[in-house]
Amino acid sequence: MLAYVVRRLWQMIPTMLGVILLIFFLFNWVGGDPAYILAGKMSNPEQIENIRKQLGVDQPYYVQLWIFIKQILTFDYGVSWSTGESVSQIILTRLGPSLTLLIPLTILQTVISIILALAVASVRGSLTDRMVMMLCTIGMSISILVYIIVFQYVLAYQLSWFPVQGWSDNFSENLTQYALLPILIMLVVSIAPTLRLYRSFVLDEINQDYVRTARAKGVGESRVLGVHVLRNASIPIVTEVMASLPALLIGAFLIERFFGIPGIGREIIIAVERSDFPVIKAITVYIAAMTMIFNLIADLIYKLLDPRVQLK
Amino acid sequence: MQYQNELPLLQVENLQVSFKGENKQWIETVKGISFSIPKNKTVALVGESGSGKSVTSLAVMGLLPKGQSQIAAQSKIKFEGKDLLHLSAGEIRKICGKEIAMIFQEPMSSLNPVFTVGDQIAEVLRIHLDMGRKEARVRVLELLREVGIPAPETKIDAYPSQLSGGQQQRVMIAMAIACEPKLLIADEPTTALDVTIQKQIIDLLESLRQRHQMSMLFITHDLALVGEIADEVIVMRHGEIRECGPVEQVLERPQDVYTKALLHCRPQLASRPYRLPVTSDFMKQENGQWVEVSQLSDLNLKQRSRGLKGDEQIILEVKDLKKSFYSRKGLWGRDEFQAVKGVSFQLAKGKTLGLVGESGSGKTTIGLLLMRLHEATGGQALIGGKDILAMSEKEFCQYQRKIQIIFQNPYASLNPRFTIGQILLEPMRIHGIGQNDAERKKIALELLERVSLPAQAYDRYPHEFSGGQRQRIAIARCLTLKPEILICDESVSALDVSVQAQVLNLLQDLQDEFGLSYIFISHDLSVVKYISDQVMVMNHGELVEIANSDELYLHPQHEYTKKLLNAIPQGIVHH
Amino acid sequence: MLSTIFKSKASSDESTAATGLWQLALKRLKSDRIAVVSFIVVLFYFILLALSMTGVIASNWNKEVAVSYAPPTFLGADVDSSHVREAAKSTESLPENPVDPLKDVIQQLNAEIQSEQQSGYIDDYGMVDPLAEDMKKINQQLGGNLLEQKQELKSTLPFGADKWGQDILLKTIKGAETSILVGLLSAVLAVVIGTFLGAIAGYFGGWVDDVLNWFYNIFTSIPYLLLVLAIAAVLQQKGILSIVLILGLTGWTGVFRLIRAEYMKHKSREYVLAAKAIGVSHLRRMFVHIFPNVSHIALVQISILVVSFIKSEVILSFLGFGVPVGVVSWGSMLNEAQSELILGKWWQLAAASIAMAVLVTAFSMFTDALRDALDPKLK
Repeated sequence: MLAYVVRRLWQMIPTMLGVILLIFFLFNWVGGDPAYILAGKMSNPEQIENIRKQLGVDQPYYVQLWIFIKQILTFDYGVSWSTGESVSQIILTRLGPSLTLLIPLTILQTVISIILALAVASVRGSLTDRMVMMLCTIGMSISILVYIIVFQYVLAYQLSWFPVQGWSDNFSENLTQYALLPILIMLVVSIAPTLRLYRSFVLDEINQDYVRTARAKGVGESRVLGVHVLRNASIPIVTEVMASLPALLIGAFLIERFFGIPGIGREIIIAVERSDFPVIKAITVYIAAMTMIFNLIADLIYKLLDPRVQLK
Repeated sequence: MQYQNELPLLQVENLQVSFKGENKQWIETVKGISFSIPKNKTVALVGESGSGKSVTSLAVMGLLPKGQSQIAAQSKIKFEGKDLLHLSAGEIRKICGKEIAMIFQEPMSSLNPVFTVGDQIAEVLRIHLDMGRKEARVRVLELLREVGIPAPETKIDAYPSQLSGGQQQRVMIAMAIACEPKLLIADEPTTALDVTIQKQIIDLLESLRQRHQMSMLFITHDLALVGEIADEVIVMRHGEIRECGPVEQVLERPQDVYTKALLHCRPQLASRPYRLPVTSDFMKQENGQWVEVSQLSDLNLKQRSRGLKGDEQIILEVKDLKKSFYSRKGLWGRDEFQAVKGVSFQLAKGKTLGLVGESGSGKTTIGLLLMRLHEATGGQALIGGKDILAMSEKEFCQYQRKIQIIFQNPYASLNPRFTIGQILLEPMRIHGIGQNDAERKKIALELLERVSLPAQAYDRYPHEFSGGQRQRIAIARCLTLKPEILICDESVSALDVSVQAQVLNLLQDLQDEFGLSYIFISHDLSVVKYISDQVMVMNHGELVEIANSDELYLHPQHEYTKKLLNAIPQGIVHH
Repeated sequence: MLSTIFKSKASSDESTAATGLWQLALKRLKSDRIAVVSFIVVLFYFILLALSMTGVIASNWNKEVAVSYAPPTFLGADVDSSHVREAAKSTESLPENPVDPLKDVIQQLNAEIQSEQQSGYIDDYGMVDPLAEDMKKINQQLGGNLLEQKQELKSTLPFGADKWGQDILLKTIKGAETSILVGLLSAVLAVVIGTFLGAIAGYFGGWVDDVLNWFYNIFTSIPYLLLVLAIAAVLQQKGILSIVLILGLTGWTGVFRLIRAEYMKHKSREYVLAAKAIGVSHLRRMFVHIFPNVSHIALVQISILVVSFIKSEVILSFLGFGVPVGVVSWGSMLNEAQSELILGKWWQLAAASIAMAVLVTAFSMFTDALRDALDPKLK
């Protein structure tokens, strides 16, 4: 097992290098001269040259690349071009709000989807099954934007059940007030595709031979689904949840923006709007690293759950 | 022997089962059959694929898929007098696993991969006998010992993927007999196992049955196996019962035309006729009825002698052929698995070399190595003095036509998106046979006729043909290149007995006509004896013994060969 | 086991015409009513797309043809709108109050307002528009059309108007053009890239596979949206082509993985080994033998990606990273709808949402039916 982990970590290095190269290529090469962006249109050439020196973009490319790598290794990305805040500081402070949203969301979403998937699978082929699937399809075809706009307007603005926007410094206040509507909306949006996916996992298992054996042994239908099938279906489910976690951090950006929640997603949008390269670069590098590590964890969990798998 | 007025354990009356086909129409798969299973006896249910035998057993257990299948209202399945078809789901569940148990064909997929073996067996005990955890564990150990699993204390916590095929099947059996059922249904339990393991499992089942006073419904397609294990036989075809009765009567004095055909299409160890009788030799369809055509005595069963005399021309010489597979081990290391360990043999022109062994013996690998579909790790294969394994790709093109292969799986060896015509034309186009497509089409049509397929097949797709027909198409594809050597890699193993006979006859005809040399790879010892002049026995990658086929079967030299031959089902064993 | 029952049944039935995969799939699709309905809906959208692209309809979507926020016809003309219309053009006349000490001043102002309304000038804060005289001259030269156009503003439109009086129905159609075009082109691009790379990686294995996997890992380590946003931030230029390139060049990864897995599976199938045995070359094996067995997966992927990219484009345009300012997209419509909702004007939101929901639902259902028709599984 240890050999496997070490080998995987070793294999991550070329990928990480590739990510670094890609980001570097995008931002230091293709990206417009940052000096102009920062200085605005009214600077004189002297000021621009100054800024260039400060940012280090007057150096040849390989030097810039080396600077970038050094930054990554020391976790110090310099300061944001728009706010002057230390980039690392920005990321650290934004992590909390994002997690406050995402952890409850993931737990609720997974549990509810599994229950619904099992329920729907037990009546597969029936009218209920088809209606639920059609509802999912329709639900998925409405843009998340619409959900956010409508829910925010109706539930928060008109009915005042939730605060329209905002975030506080108090954790429990966040959880019980400000996070509720965002989590609700994200839940509604994500249940449909998750349900469809989990349903397909469950159905794949129901058609297996071992289910037939369980029934031949006289096992009741609820135990067949809830123990035999679920235990097998949990393998792809858990793997999928683990692997999609890092993406969720970013995916919540719309919600964070609409509700004024100072999370990583919103930070990225702001950074993109302001062409704040250091922030974008740093977040991208971190998320990429996280994704790789989470994939590794997902594979390890897979091995733990599925005795058939041999890790090589 | 049998008390006539004793209530049979299981009584099936007028069972009719229909399945929903692709165009939403109901197709009748079992057409109103009736039979009974007495107490404490083994009844064999025999038939080819599509006969409805498995469907019948699933119907008894209530395991037919709910939406796709339908049992007619007037059918009855009475177990100890109670009609199973009219019980509630809860009541059926109490019976399944406790009074009636079932074991299946593929033990690997029939066991839940994520639970330990011990847990799965204990589940039956906990559900039906309400045993506590500790009590169940003790009983599970007893059961594992009873079914012959070595070191049960460790194996009880093993996962199915950590056991061999034979051990998995033993676990299935343990699960089935855990609650001492009165009826055990075994659906082709040994078909997926090696011949030596098969023998062990069959013996185990028989001894268990006697010890626990169970009845057994044994489903199989292998008539010889039936002779070893059954008291009574039921023969099914196309959803109907053709014949039933005590085993000696059915096997030695069959009444029904189809049963007779089935018995005689199989290659027997004791005889080797020039042509294997096929079903159409016995019966033909007249006005919707199967009519007997000829008696067995009428058929020409002139024996064919086989064997090498030593002066034949050698067309292929294999020297010290080796193949190793490598896999990663640890951080830096490499694990080596030797599939073929230095094998040498010769193939005589116009003759057949049989290659037998169990799974993992390396026999299939040898075929793939000779075709250069796998790269050999060492050794030579000489055709006309030239080593085809050492040639470059370009050089090999000239020799490619000389050696061709027919694979085992008829459903996978033809490209599903090509028409038969395209499949046949392609090799000719590549090797420049024929001047233009019109000429090639002519050759293709001739070949189709030669393998007894209609000319309309040219424009059809593979999925419209049966397994036997697809193998014949594969043979025709090889023939387009006019090869000298044909490797038959388990080419008839996936076919029904009557279809198998047709394909074997075709192969033999082609050999007689064109002087083809065959390497016939198979695990079925009777078939190999029938068709081979010489036989090679492989075990774990090593060539264990090679001799003329008659010699080998009569006087096996090596221990392993003896063990292999002993395991062949002999037919009727008189108790 | 069940499948063997069906197979033997099939062979004993009389098969008439030659039936390849596509003909069979077509037959199944035709008999599936949902598939037919979804297909018709999608076709309708495509026809609209064609008409819109060629300029037959909706080419004048950005003309101001109605009053600001004109409500949909089915709601009836807004009583308020006449006030709004007047407010847009001039100040309201001030109420008269006899007791008011300023009533003389007010009377004078009202008279001015009256004259202003008659002349149709916009008069700000009592100052006369310095350009008014010139405008009048130009107006006369143009045949009096310029200012009169303003007067023909409608009070209702089939689906209402937005803040600038633009017809929402036309905007929706034009927006459909943008979204469908982007969705289609990016999907095709992504699938072509993914299929080609996946085939090579899956078939050849070895170092080729390792290199392509390295690319795949890089692209998938960065969450999709993040990558898109990052590229959008850097490219700074907007336009349909940019979006198509961005979406296509980042969305190939899913297809790559699928096709690669399929090629790896098929590469060792017996029919491919048989092809090698008769001497078929690598390239031919890859694209003539294996590809037809895999093409249906690629087709379904195009379908799936179209849906996904339409949704992505809407979000991008909403954020302002998508289409440039002059082009309308459902995303930009939703952006405007956000602030409109607070004013109680919901028609733009409804139009964009419904149009998009109907298209995506129909397309999704058709995709499901297509997938089932091409690869039916016994349920």
